[in-house]
Amino acid sequence: MSAPICELRSVQKHFPGSRGKDNRVLEDINLKVLQDEILCILGPSGGGKSTLLRLLAGLEPPSAGEIRYHRNKLVGLNPGVAMVFQDFALYPWMTVEENVRVVLRARDLPEDEVKEKAHQAISKVGLEGFEEAYPRELSRGFKQRVGVARALAVDPEVLVMDEPFSQVDALTAEALRAELLDIWQDAERNPNSIVLVSHSIREAVLMADRIVILSGNPSHVRAIVPIPLPRPRDSRAPEFLQLVDRVHDIITSAELPDVEVTAPVPGRVPEVIEPLPHVAGPDIMGLLEFLEAQGGSCDIFQVATQTHVPFESVLTTAKAAEMLDFVDTPKRGLTFTPIGLRFMAADMDKRKDIWRAQLLQLRLFRVVREMMQLREGELPKEELLHEIAQRLPMEDAEETFGTLVAWGRFGELFAYREETEVLTFE
Amino acid sequence: MINQFLTRAWGQASSLLGGPHARKRRWVDAVVLLGLAGLVMGLVLVAREWTVLQRPKVEIDLSPLALPKYALLSFARAAVAYAISAAFTLVVAYWAARDAWAERILIPILDILQSVPLLAFMPVVLLAMVGLFPHNNVGIELSAVILIVTCQAWNMAFSFYQSLKTLPPELDEVSRSFGMSWIQRLRWVELPYAAPGLVWNSMVSVANGWFFLMAAEAFKLGSRDFRLPGLGAYMSAAVEQGHGRAEIYAILAMLTLVILLDQLVWKPVVAWSQRFQMDDGVRVEKSRSWVLRLLRRSALWRRIRKTVSNLVPARQPRPTAPVEKPMENPMVRRLIGSLMLTLMLLALVFGGFKLVGLLGHVSGTEWMRLMKAGGASLGRVLASTALATCWTLPVGLWIGLSPSWSRRLQPVVQVVASFPSSLLFVALIVALKKVGVSLFASSILLMALSTQWYLLFNIIAGAQSVPTNLREVARAYRFGLWKTAWKLYFPAVFPFLVTGWVTATGGAWNASIITEIVQIGGQTLQTFGLGAIVTQSADEGNIPLLAASALLMAFLVVLFNRLVWAPLYRLAETRYSVNR
Repeated sequence: MSAPICELRSVQKHFPGSRGKDNRVLEDINLKVLQDEILCILGPSGGGKSTLLRLLAGLEPPSAGEIRYHRNKLVGLNPGVAMVFQDFALYPWMTVEENVRVVLRARDLPEDEVKEKAHQAISKVGLEGFEEAYPRELSRGFKQRVGVARALAVDPEVLVMDEPFSQVDALTAEALRAELLDIWQDAERNPNSIVLVSHSIREAVLMADRIVILSGNPSHVRAIVPIPLPRPRDSRAPEFLQLVDRVHDIITSAELPDVEVTAPVPGRVPEVIEPLPHVAGPDIMGLLEFLEAQGGSCDIFQVATQTHVPFESVLTTAKAAEMLDFVDTPKRGLTFTPIGLRFMAADMDKRKDIWRAQLLQLRLFRVVREMMQLREGELPKEELLHEIAQRLPMEDAEETFGTLVAWGRFGELFAYREETEVLTFE
Repeated sequence: MINQFLTRAWGQASSLLGGPHARKRRWVDAVVLLGLAGLVMGLVLVAREWTVLQRPKVEIDLSPLALPKYALLSFARAAVAYAISAAFTLVVAYWAARDAWAERILIPILDILQSVPLLAFMPVVLLAMVGLFPHNNVGIELSAVILIVTCQAWNMAFSFYQSLKTLPPELDEVSRSFGMSWIQRLRWVELPYAAPGLVWNSMVSVANGWFFLMAAEAFKLGSRDFRLPGLGAYMSAAVEQGHGRAEIYAILAMLTLVILLDQLVWKPVVAWSQRFQMDDGVRVEKSRSWVLRLLRRSALWRRIRKTVSNLVPARQPRPTAPVEKPMENPMVRRLIGSLMLTLMLLALVFGGFKLVGLLGHVSGTEWMRLMKAGGASLGRVLASTALATCWTLPVGLWIGLSPSWSRRLQPVVQVVASFPSSLLFVALIVALKKVGVSLFASSILLMALSTQWYLLFNIIAGAQSVPTNLREVARAYRFGLWKTAWKLYFPAVFPFLVTGWVTATGGAWNASIITEIVQIGGQTLQTFGLGAIVTQSADEGNIPLLAASALLMAFLVVLFNRLVWAPLYRLAETRYSVNR
């Protein structure tokens, strides 16, 4: 096997968080980008997938560890990488052609070469005839084609793509994937390899030679799954479905382990609280309703495919429902608990009572209630943020606060007024 | 006809210039050429005017034939001042956005400067500049330009700074990931992104500039005449001699200038800057401009652009793949930056000491009088704002809520609003005095006259932003006119109204300087107020009192902003924002 193009060695990344605490995103990442491969990265949303790509492109320096490009330690931008962005990131004041040319001009190429290369890249993605169009005139699928053309224009060894097909509709995404594979399979030309962040397991199995699964907070590489299927791949073939299943299992076991999440572990430091999955109340209700419609039990990935919600979101919602003890998640299954059944059968007032009782099973809400009682029913946001930051150092305090308020309001546990920024009892 | 003539006169040369498309629209080229020639003529004229020795008294020729010259002179002053403001904007805003230290110091300073009534400092600047150049007109000219710059630059710089700070991160990431240098980023990304805001603020700034320029050109301190040949001086001379027809000529000339500027400069620029609008799904109505259409079709213009772009030397191709190009040596940059900041701070501290020394000369009783005058002026400012609100609120709502009326009236309102009301002040005061209105009351009226447009604009914008579905709710549940106004329109417009109030009171303070005291002929009319004291103390050469009154006014404005407008603004943002 030839030498890797890029290599990440014990890479860590943290960002300065609120209150002087570092927000750790990636931990101890070891990863190689090999010659001639498509590498897919899967993981929960907000789990550092995009950060990983930005490190690889040299847009952000790693906080610890190092990134190598052809054995040389990377300082600044990665010369062999071009990036395709999730939301296209096209300059709205430039035409398609200008958007592609501008990155070539940034390399100070002579004008003839700029025109020549831009033309090649544009024709490679089938955008001929659209040269004079402004991005606002294009559909999302075509916008992303411009994004790809722009990246191809600089002739990168590695094409790095951040959920490139998540903003386009399913059919267009299918077409774009096939075109991308065609471009990549031309062995004579760059890009040599592709690194692709994805939110769809199916897409990953369809495209990748290897799938990297990130999990945890901060994220680390949970598993690397090789996909040895020959191309073109048939997404209905049994081997294909088996691999999809396997990846499903790895992700679920990482995100929803089969031990009870809320159970207090004996001997644990009492100050530590469970972090809240950032899910809105209606989403949890929606999941429960769906589950009821399915007859009380179903497969988590069935939810994702039938509701067209990205599977990471379904996972977080399931996690939240499990935390409130409404559902159980044996393996990849999803079933009601007795409490969940009672909740679904109840009317709105009763539901609120159950919801409130379940919230108070969570230590975070008990802490909030104690703090409110101490302050005679008036708790300033600032104080609670401080408490959250101390007890949940890994979490974004503002976001946790938002979730907390949303859940608490639904359970009528407390009221919150934005102008005064104070929590009060109902 | 014209085309034929041009083909003959132009002949070979034009086919050399024009290329294959040149056959059509040759008269457009003629217009473009004429425009260029006019510009050069004007510059020569102005340069001659500026180097002339100071005359004991400005001779103003009241014949209408002299008006184009005066209009051109006024225009040249405004143009020079605008160019300086634009340069200042680019440098300072870029610096503040890129250097965290500079940001911490410059932005608060800009914030205060843009809210302070700078006209209060006109006498100070004028005296200083005339002191510097006692023998010719340069001092007065300079002070007029400085004055205009100080009323133009801050909001433009603020707008550019804000654009730089709010550049969507993904657009910035693209520029970084493909290795653009800082100058490439400025040209291709940052300036285009900032363009709509810059254009809008330029329009506001230039309108402001006219207001200040008309005041400056007609400025007199007691017996001393600091007038500059221009439309403002023409008007003041006409009023002094009671020459009614000349007054109307001056107003018409100013109106023509404003309309020409609107049609020939702003309309095309606005239409052109629309391509820099971010693509966020909001369809705004497209502005069109006949001038821009002509220019785009002009073969000569295309040719000029091409020649200019060919003149830029081709760059050497870079052999290697990109590395992130740093601005320069970061150490050197840091050093220069901190050096400049330190110098600025030192100057501020030094100036502060000097001021404290000066203010020591102002006695306690004088301070009391100043305070009272400040109260009187504040009362007048608020009264004028209330007065203006009374008529602009219903009218603005009516215009803004009806798409067809806003389409028809907004261009008119825009032109009328950029007409500098300061040109009319003296004439109106004289007219009102004849009817028996005291300066006390007429100054309120004049303030309202100069600031009502800020309110009207903001209310129209607010009314346009009222979501249709909320209006439909009001209709569906039969709210009736009165209830709809109270429950929907007023709350929805409130944030815009607050913005309008802030700008309007700022403008009213400026107007107080020139409306509370006026010289007509040999006679001085004045009413009790801080603005009158500023001018009077400058006239008497009482520098400590001048400094004290100008500073007190600035202080009052800042205090009022912090204590009244800021809380109102917060309330509007959190409670009454419909777009959140």
